[in-house]
Amino acid sequence: MDTLIGGMFPEIHLPMALAVVLLGFIGGVLSGFIGSGGAFFMTPGMMNLGVSGVVAVASNITHKFGKAIIGSRKHAQMGNVDKRLAFFMLVTALLGVRLAVWINSLLFKGAGGSGHGEGGKSPAADLYISAIFISILTFVALSMLKDALRPSTGEGPSRKIADFLGRLNLKPVIRFPVSDVELSLWVLLPVGLATGYLAGTIGVGGFIGVPAMIYIFGIPTAVAAGTELFLAVFMGAFGALNYAYEGFVDLRLTFLLFLGSLVGVHLGAYGVKVLSERVIRLSTGIIILLCVFSRAAAVPVYLAQLGKIRLDPALIPVCNGASTFLLFGAGISGAGMILYFVLKAHRERRRIHTTLAVPRTQAG
Amino acid sequence: MPIIFISSLPFGGGERLARRLAERLGYGFLSREDVVAKATEYGVPVGKLEVAMVKRPAVQERLARLQERYLAVATAVLCERAREGDLVYYGRAGHHLLPGVSHVLRVHVIPDPVQRLETAAQRIKLPEEKARKFLAEVDGDIRAWVRFVHGVNLDDPTRYDYVVNLERTSLENAASVLCTVAGLPDYQPTPASRKVMEDRLLQARARIQLVLDEALSEADLTVRASDGIVTVTYMPRQAHLAPRIADVLKDLPECREVRCTMASTNILWIQERFDPASEAFRHVTEVARRWGAAVELLRYAPEGPEEGEEAAPTPAPPAGKAEGGVEDDVAERPLPEACRLFRQTLAALVQRGQSGGAQVVSGSRDKVLGAISPTIPYSLVIVGDVAASKPAAVRTRATRDLAAFLGQHLKAPVVSAADLEQRLRIAPREWVEGAAALAVVLLGFALLFTYQETVLDLLGGPTHKRIPWAGPLLVATVAPLVAFLYGKVAGLILKAFKVE
Repeated sequence: MDTLIGGMFPEIHLPMALAVVLLGFIGGVLSGFIGSGGAFFMTPGMMNLGVSGVVAVASNITHKFGKAIIGSRKHAQMGNVDKRLAFFMLVTALLGVRLAVWINSLLFKGAGGSGHGEGGKSPAADLYISAIFISILTFVALSMLKDALRPSTGEGPSRKIADFLGRLNLKPVIRFPVSDVELSLWVLLPVGLATGYLAGTIGVGGFIGVPAMIYIFGIPTAVAAGTELFLAVFMGAFGALNYAYEGFVDLRLTFLLFLGSLVGVHLGAYGVKVLSERVIRLSTGIIILLCVFSRAAAVPVYLAQLGKIRLDPALIPVCNGASTFLLFGAGISGAGMILYFVLKAHRERRRIHTTLAVPRTQAG
Repeated sequence: MPIIFISSLPFGGGERLARRLAERLGYGFLSREDVVAKATEYGVPVGKLEVAMVKRPAVQERLARLQERYLAVATAVLCERAREGDLVYYGRAGHHLLPGVSHVLRVHVIPDPVQRLETAAQRIKLPEEKARKFLAEVDGDIRAWVRFVHGVNLDDPTRYDYVVNLERTSLENAASVLCTVAGLPDYQPTPASRKVMEDRLLQARARIQLVLDEALSEADLTVRASDGIVTVTYMPRQAHLAPRIADVLKDLPECREVRCTMASTNILWIQERFDPASEAFRHVTEVARRWGAAVELLRYAPEGPEEGEEAAPTPAPPAGKAEGGVEDDVAERPLPEACRLFRQTLAALVQRGQSGGAQVVSGSRDKVLGAISPTIPYSLVIVGDVAASKPAAVRTRATRDLAAFLGQHLKAPVVSAADLEQRLRIAPREWVEGAAALAVVLLGFALLFTYQETVLDLLGGPTHKRIPWAGPLLVATVAPLVAFLYGKVAGLILKAFKVE
């Protein structure tokens, strides 16, 4: 692949541009469907297209920051944003983002090699990003699959951790009226740090932030999602500016992602209405797991580039091909399934256009 | 006579007062324990539900379904007992089970704290200090339960007709006062109030029947009943369940028609006079079509129904034996215009597959609020013209006041019908703004890709090394601007194609 500016930014021809728009569209559909950012698909997708990992993360976080402004406004209108909680978490979240940018920049600048596929110049950074992706997404996917497969008990999310931490009564304890919880500052700060670090490293802070707010803080699910999105505006802005300062943001990729994702997100959101909660969790879990396999298939290439293992050069295109096939296969089949159900629901609605009215003559 | 609801915290004398009142008036007595027992029979684990609702406020889909099932059983038990004869109910703000029913007397009992503590300590055999702690915990749980189940504050005096403080009033005197109050004309049943109660009973019975069916027990269904018509809305993902719903409800007593509507969400439309030929009808059904929503009609007549328009004209049974001979034909009274149009509007919604049921409310704004079910997650409330017989200025003010009032009390967004029209129509100015936004976005793309080497140099090349703040400045300006402008263009296109 041709590259610009010292091999850091890829040359974007029409097929590549269309592929990035498609990535944005599929990521948008998945993001509307799951209710989280589609970074888990878009970032590795760009890496598969030959974009260096750190540039993919930086361009995606810039894209997410623009999108989060619109999303968090809607959540705020519905009363799902605890601004007080978000501001407390923001203190350490920004530190987490800064830490992530610093590590990524260090690995990128400190490593050589020809990068994954033909583009990029940072196998160490790519390996590091892939490792974080694999570990976090495996955990998230398995939790989702476990939830989807176990019979529902009818009880809300477990509060064991939240209750345990509450009993410790670590001072100072702060009251959050919107979420209706009291939280120790010593619990808030590490969660903020972890959320910021993941948002800055792989652009999916919400995968840790939202479950942490539900299970560790014990706050309602809708408020957790709204607050994380509000937080994402600031983390995204801070991350985007930091990565831009380090010189890793490719605005062309950001623009092309916008083209697809802002349309796809509407269709994905509709998919939630036509599929049951269990199917949503099951399909999301499988899609994320396939993204994990895709990243795992690329790891031997990075290790070989770093000289850690010996890999037959003939196997490099096989690994890259398998990685790309798995990722695009997961994304296209996942988005395809959602769009199929959306269209099916539309057809079904047209078929049952009239309300089913059954008059009863022998009413008692 | 009214249904008397006594609400109080445990060990506070509320139950004794309720029993004494029932005894003196010759009424039946029903307590929350009876309702809980019945709910358990119907498979609602009330204890678990209480723990989950009180301790784990993050309400899940299944938890919400259990809550709805409990409310249905409680409403059915209450209405059936009230139908058998006059009734005193003792529980936790139980009057909220019958929103819109006016022949209820709502009493809140404030206990004598000293006596309450003594009673509690004796009954649970605990030292005073531990009993005090126990009471504080129980009170907190009960208040949380009432807040979650009914969405109200148990101690809010505006939710009751009378508040009795047993610290200074003896139980016997309190019962005497309430006996007198129960006889006042304000609390006596009216045909409209009885009709609302019958509707609530039918709705509750339909809900119970649906949840008892294995195939439907986990489905997300919204149930409404009015005038013997049961309207059930189901989610698009459960389209295959529609015939099953009709089948399950086929033997429901006192139901003359079952209507099943597929809907992703519900819209509540409140207005005084409906007309299926009106512009407002076109706009509301357009929104419903876009959202895949069912529209529930609430006809609000602040000054009561028109002459000849009783809410539920139920023919009274003949008083005596028929004497034989030819009886006079009773000419069917023509329906008033507003009532006829209301029915036509409902029929038009049924035709379109968008009916979410209907109800009629008269009286104060609080009655409207009481008639809106807190368990139905409306995604929009539309307020059309009320005070239809008044001059235009009064009409506008009354509509605006009602919309503002509902906006303060409901979680769902409330818009006036006039605002809705504005939101649906793409004004010429919006087209101009959209075109300008599109032009800027296209220009941005053209510049970026034409001068990509220069831009990339600024973002990460030699120029970036010299001026490192130029890149962040460009990103901070351009990314949100393009997201905003392209979002606006995409929104406008979706709006034009009616798919937003």
